Amino acid sequence: MANIYKPDLMEVISVRQQTSDVKSVAIRFLDPERARNFSFTVGQFGIFSVFGSGESTFNICSSSSWKDRIEFCFRKVGRVTDAMWQVEVGDVIGFRGPYGNGYPVDLWKGHDLVFLGGGIAMPPIRCAVWYALENRDQFGEITVVYGARTVADLVFVDELKEWSTRERVRVITCVDPGGETPDWKGEIGLVPSVFERANLSLHDPVALVIGPPIMIKNTLPILEKMGVVPGSVYTSLENRMKCGVGKCGRCNVGSHYVCKEGPVLTMDTLRGLPLDF
Amino acid sequence: MSDTIQFEPKIIAYVCNWCTYLGADLAGTARLEYPPNVRIVKLPCTGRIDFNLIIKAFEVGADAIIVSGCHPGDCHYTSGNYHARRRWILFRELLNLLGFDLDRIHFAWISAAEGKKFQQVVTEVTEKTRKMGPYSELYAAGSAHLLPQPPHAPSPLETFSGESKLRSEARRLLIEGDVKAVIGYGERGPVIITHPEDAERLVWNNRCTANLAMYLKRKEVKALGKAAIVVKACDERALVVLEKESQLLRENLHVIGMACEGLESPKCVACTSRTPRFADQIIGEAADLIPSQESSPNKLDALMQLPRAQRMAYWVEEFSRCVKCYACRQVCPLCYCERCLVDKNRPITIDPAASTKGNFAWHITRALHLAGRCVGCGACAKACPVGIDLGLMNLQLAKAAKEHFGGYQAGVDLSAELLIGSFAKQDKEEFIK
Amino acid sequence: MSETITETKLKHLAAEWIVAGTPVISPVAIKGRFLYMPLLSAEALAFSPETRPANSIKEFFFPKAETLYSYRVQGSSIELSEPSEFAGQQIILGARPCDAAALPILDHVFNWDSVDDFYNRRRTATTIVTIACTKSDDACFCTSVGLGPSATNGSDAMLLEISTGRYEVRCITEKGRQLFAGVTEPGTEPGHVTDAPPRKFDSEKVRAFAETHFEDTFWADHGRTCVGCGACAFTCPTCHCFDIVDAGPSAGSARVRTWDSCQSSQFTQHASGHNPRNSQPARQRQRVLHKFATYPEKFDAILCTGCGNCVRNCPVGLGVLSILTEI
Repeated sequence: MANIYKPDLMEVISVRQQTSDVKSVAIRFLDPERARNFSFTVGQFGIFSVFGSGESTFNICSSSSWKDRIEFCFRKVGRVTDAMWQVEVGDVIGFRGPYGNGYPVDLWKGHDLVFLGGGIAMPPIRCAVWYALENRDQFGEITVVYGARTVADLVFVDELKEWSTRERVRVITCVDPGGETPDWKGEIGLVPSVFERANLSLHDPVALVIGPPIMIKNTLPILEKMGVVPGSVYTSLENRMKCGVGKCGRCNVGSHYVCKEGPVLTMDTLRGLPLDF
Repeated sequence: MSDTIQFEPKIIAYVCNWCTYLGADLAGTARLEYPPNVRIVKLPCTGRIDFNLIIKAFEVGADAIIVSGCHPGDCHYTSGNYHARRRWILFRELLNLLGFDLDRIHFAWISAAEGKKFQQVVTEVTEKTRKMGPYSELYAAGSAHLLPQPPHAPSPLETFSGESKLRSEARRLLIEGDVKAVIGYGERGPVIITHPEDAERLVWNNRCTANLAMYLKRKEVKALGKAAIVVKACDERALVVLEKESQLLRENLHVIGMACEGLESPKCVACTSRTPRFADQIIGEAADLIPSQESSPNKLDALMQLPRAQRMAYWVEEFSRCVKCYACRQVCPLCYCERCLVDKNRPITIDPAASTKGNFAWHITRALHLAGRCVGCGACAKACPVGIDLGLMNLQLAKAAKEHFGGYQAGVDLSAELLIGSFAKQDKEEFIK
Repeated sequence: MSETITETKLKHLAAEWIVAGTPVISPVAIKGRFLYMPLLSAEALAFSPETRPANSIKEFFFPKAETLYSYRVQGSSIELSEPSEFAGQQIILGARPCDAAALPILDHVFNWDSVDDFYNRRRTATTIVTIACTKSDDACFCTSVGLGPSATNGSDAMLLEISTGRYEVRCITEKGRQLFAGVTEPGTEPGHVTDAPPRKFDSEKVRAFAETHFEDTFWADHGRTCVGCGACAFTCPTCHCFDIVDAGPSAGSARVRTWDSCQSSQFTQHASGHNPRNSQPARQRQRVLHKFATYPEKFDAILCTGCGNCVRNCPVGLGVLSILTEI
């Protein structure tokens, strides 16, 4: 009998503390056959679990071309993430996935890419950036505008630095006014206004905007002014999930099941959905 | 030929940090030997011991439990053990009803100087439990002994006098504007009206059984502003408890008291008053009380007369039907916690699944959190879609409250202290070693 | 020419099935109501074309608490073990048509893309024998959702009462034919069925309204008295929303699937504190949308059989019906 709810057993191979309450974890399949056969599309998510505490949903934030591991990034907020915070290298946790629809990278080929994200929204952007860098000739200019409340809240800081050294990649990092440190060299301001200030000229870009609803709301008009139609602006929704496979009836936004028809969708589609998220 | 392994009981002792734990320590340093069967769990005070800890100990396989703390008067936190003692009195009554073996739960006062007493208590309890054997009766099913069910023939709809007066009053209140919503009874069930013209939807008849006070805790109702509520004398007791527990400001609620003519409900045979006492106005005409009679069999007595194992089998059968819908909780006016214990997950105290353990833990929790507060409106039992005898648990605790605490009844006397919030130096303790 | 069977014969058969170890699930009289439960003995057989149990038969396909797998933690290594397979057969005898009709509706979601074998293996192992209704009450509304008192959706065989204790047997599927092979008597009188209750609302109209009135005050006006329990969802034949719980060692070190209700205030509560459906009216709206708009959009089937359990079990007299008739 196929048990679609049974997780794969994964060994933790690295744990990196990103901020005071955010960690990123890399895991690999204990079953070598599963490791060989596993593949996913960037933008898909998984349901990660700590045995004894429960399951939680996170984006798979590693690139799909990294065959030796998958990574996820989480903030310590509740029962499961509290337990996940205690996990160490060598521990075994559970993983179910990949679930969801992932980014339509084929549609993005040939375009300039703009990634706009705030705070804990960096992980789902990170996997897309690495994927684009690894398939560099398929995409145009890459722009990343990423901000957090304070300097201490920025995640994957070293990778942001690394990306800015790559060809035709522009990385703008910002913190909210008041969140800067004396030696902060980046921008100060909210992501939408920093993006607007940058006054970039982009050719037929595809945008991925992930963050709190207010950030998305303020970023859209700026993109539209630049001539980016809602059909080329993507986001990744999040919602409370349990099964991840469209059966438990919990994650839907109107008739849109975030775990099946999402979490990735265009602004066009999002505008047609009721305010059920 | 196999060697019989002698049964070694697993005993968990919940002890307070300041007295009994030090007493245990003293037993150790004084080289007083006691059996190794006991695992000690230290808490700051017996007042902190949630009864769910005791249930959990059984869930994970304990054969006996010891709960021990400072002597009354010596509590490090002044009154923690007094509160604990009061709760233990009620807790034992409920466990008795449910068929738990009270001989497996031991309470004791052991001070820091009483190393010898600690040794004695632990040795006695271990010996006793060894003789009793493992607690295999816990949640054991058996031949379910069905209790007599009172016959209930639905009677025709009877409108009471006062219905039109109620409607005009509701209309008046909403027109005047001070009251923003009227919580009352409608044709199919409760209604909450906000427009004067909707007053026609209000009814007052023998089907008005719901306790409308359940709506006072609802966020959506509070958001409407000052409300008027239709109450019967039995429902009003819930308002008294809510006021005593600082959950409502009397001046922010307009109480429309209805004098009752007796509903289509089995609880009306036990009615002691048909007219609310604290309402802002009384509408209707009360009918005479039903003379007290031994008409329907007393289920509680019948259950208590069964042997303990059969009592437990009865509740195993009852709770096996529970689907954890929490209708019992939602309709109770006094279950007003914004986030119920069963919905909390750090830690998961009550297994939320509809399993045997989860169902017992839930129902024990619900009953005990209402001990000394439940006003016996019967909404919980009526709401249960699978007909669990919820009322029996509340009734047992109400009986215990009355018997052990000077005739205490919830929601009757506005000036009386709350039962669980207070304690008396002379609360009984003959069950405490 | 039709097939008939007597109640005595059915009792006899039930006794045989029970002795053979096959659970026979039937309405049982308990605590002043009927509930579908496994029969302890054939003598307790008490179904009738008038009895509407307060629960549904979904729990025999989708149990209220089902262990998905258990785990053993040994140091830093974990061992998973699956629960034993659902073995053998089960027979449901005397279900209402509105209960049986739920199963083909639920088949869609439990097989959407990924296949839920916990559900499917019970489906395969169960034979459902329904009894056509000779009575409907105020809460029934099967005809409003395209069904009726003798609808055969989901039935393997249907009984229709000819007279007290005598039934016409109509075998619908191969399973039904196998169950009743050789045990029926030929007869000529047909069984009877009550007149279909009048339609109480137009499901297309409900769908259109729900899809276009997301922000309407209608939901608050009519959903305000809902107290947010799960009585409707848990007694509903088609509600299937569930939770997956890991309550740790004291609960058996297992991941358990349990029923959940969209009316619970915690249903869509995020750990961040955000709750997309933060009020009871919003949750009531979700119920109507899911059943009458979302599910039909995805699976071309209304997630409701009009059995009326929600109405009868609602502690405050709501149930889905009262909202639907107001649209």
